Amino acid sequence: MMRELRFYGLLVLGLVLFPFALHPIGGYAGLATQILLVGIATMGFNLLLGYAGLLSYGQAMFYGVGSYVALLTVSKFFPQFPNMWLAIVLAVLFVSVLAFLIGALTVRLYGIYFALLTLAFAQMFYFIVFQWRDLTQGDDGLQGITAPPLWVFTNIDLTTTFPSLNLGPFGNLSDVHYWYAFAAIVSLLVIAFMRVLIRSQFGEVLGAIRENEQRSTFIGFNPQRYKLAAFTIAGALSGLSGALRGLYETSTAPDSLTIETSGNFVIYTIVGGVKTILGPMVGTAIIMYLQNVISAKTDAWRLIEGILFVAVIVFLPGGILGSFKRKRARKIFSEALSTETP
Amino acid sequence: MSDPILSTAGLGKKFGNFAANSDIDFSVQEGELRAVIGPNGAGKTTFFNLLSGLSNPTSGTVRFKDDDITRLSGPRRVARGIAKAFQTANIYPDETVLQNCRFAALAKVQGSFRPEFFRASQRLSPVESIAHEALSLVDLTPRAEERAGDLSHGDKKRLDIAIALATEPQVLLLDEPVAGMSIEEVHKTDQLIRALAKRMTVLIIEHDMDLIMGLSDSITVLHQGRVLAQGTPAEVRANHTVQQAYLGGYAE
Repeated sequence: MMRELRFYGLLVLGLVLFPFALHPIGGYAGLATQILLVGIATMGFNLLLGYAGLLSYGQAMFYGVGSYVALLTVSKFFPQFPNMWLAIVLAVLFVSVLAFLIGALTVRLYGIYFALLTLAFAQMFYFIVFQWRDLTQGDDGLQGITAPPLWVFTNIDLTTTFPSLNLGPFGNLSDVHYWYAFAAIVSLLVIAFMRVLIRSQFGEVLGAIRENEQRSTFIGFNPQRYKLAAFTIAGALSGLSGALRGLYETSTAPDSLTIETSGNFVIYTIVGGVKTILGPMVGTAIIMYLQNVISAKTDAWRLIEGILFVAVIVFLPGGILGSFKRKRARKIFSEALSTETP
Repeated sequence: MSDPILSTAGLGKKFGNFAANSDIDFSVQEGELRAVIGPNGAGKTTFFNLLSGLSNPTSGTVRFKDDDITRLSGPRRVARGIAKAFQTANIYPDETVLQNCRFAALAKVQGSFRPEFFRASQRLSPVESIAHEALSLVDLTPRAEERAGDLSHGDKKRLDIAIALATEPQVLLLDEPVAGMSIEEVHKTDQLIRALAKRMTVLIIEHDMDLIMGLSDSITVLHQGRVLAQGTPAEVRANHTVQQAYLGGYAE
């Protein structure tokens, strides 16, 4: 009980300080919001890679489709109901069903075959979004779609800033929008959800299946169904993340469904720490910080990202948060890629 | 004689043109300790796989009690009460010895797919007691908190049996339970199998003839995928065709 209290206490403190901590190192408060929103998808992805041993290379399809459904709900489907919850709920529901269907077709495969089939589906959705101009505006993407207010007993405009208060080297309190507070609360809930899920009977069985699928089958579990459940949950979290990011940015584009976006989730997770709850969020923060801040200073930021990725795998094989854990990332990664059928 | 607990009729398995098993009529009574022997390549493991649901037959049927289970998946057969210990110890090496059995007990309690997303398994009784009982049956209780991968070869194989026991089976399939064991370990496993046979039906594949002859109620001999002979240990030992099959061509 004390441990839980301490964990959540530190977590809340960290979330409160985060946007201001970015200021002296060249970041900005808006980046903190983006990191938390994307990190939600990364945490979902880690449920697959870290806990179920499945390397999905198509996670961007759920993230991207989530952003499109949310923004289309606002602009096309239900413009008569300007309510952000409606956009979020519809996006998550749609993506959950999509993830369930695609999971049903893919979780039977192992290793690289699973990775390639998920990638193939993601590419398919990329081209659908790219080509279906009437609905999606093709490669222009959906632009300038103002997010409706968030109803919490009263309508809240999330673009409102906090009152002005000079914080010296840490910027100003008014740098932070209500959006950040919303992103922080949702992240906190997702982290709590993941923590309970991993410790639940479901998380335990998922671990058994990852470690020895054949034995798990011959003690009476149905691995395919457990994996499908994990795939659907991961997809739903990606959809939530994409929906919030789209609403926050007031735009989305086919970029959100590319192989590069899918690859980012892999990199974030491995750098931060597979098989840790907070690792994916930490990895997302570090790499997105590099992508945003370093890329402004040098064109070679991709090189820096690559070197960091390799350095983590070689020197901190459990990722930055997981390096003290017994189960190493390299092993999890190679297990996920193994095509050996149990 | 009463109805058999497990039986097959005309069971066959082909891999391409190669018939690993053909036309096997087999039945075992409840509480029996039955050995399945035969030279290498006789189709023993294939036969066990057909019984456990690891693979599907190309012809024939498998019955458990009154039900046709030929098309039933592996996990569902485990739920009915047919468990299997593997030829090479099939365990969760990175978990503790107790956790290995807890997984199986969890499967017994929860079935093939009934996930609890918000409840830890510790709260699901009687997982803990089933796991502990299985460990004590194979005499691994003192090792409960050790990492399974660090156990000796013999203990790993006994842990594999304990995992099978934690599913609370009625029929236990043991695939070469003493392969690679030292003499002391063989003796210990011999005692274990005798103890288990008092509680459940045991089917055993084994090459160790001394063990089999002393242990089993009856023996089925497979040769080139077919049943060559069947009977008590004494009958099988005296059978001329069995001697031929073992000594001629396929001697070990």
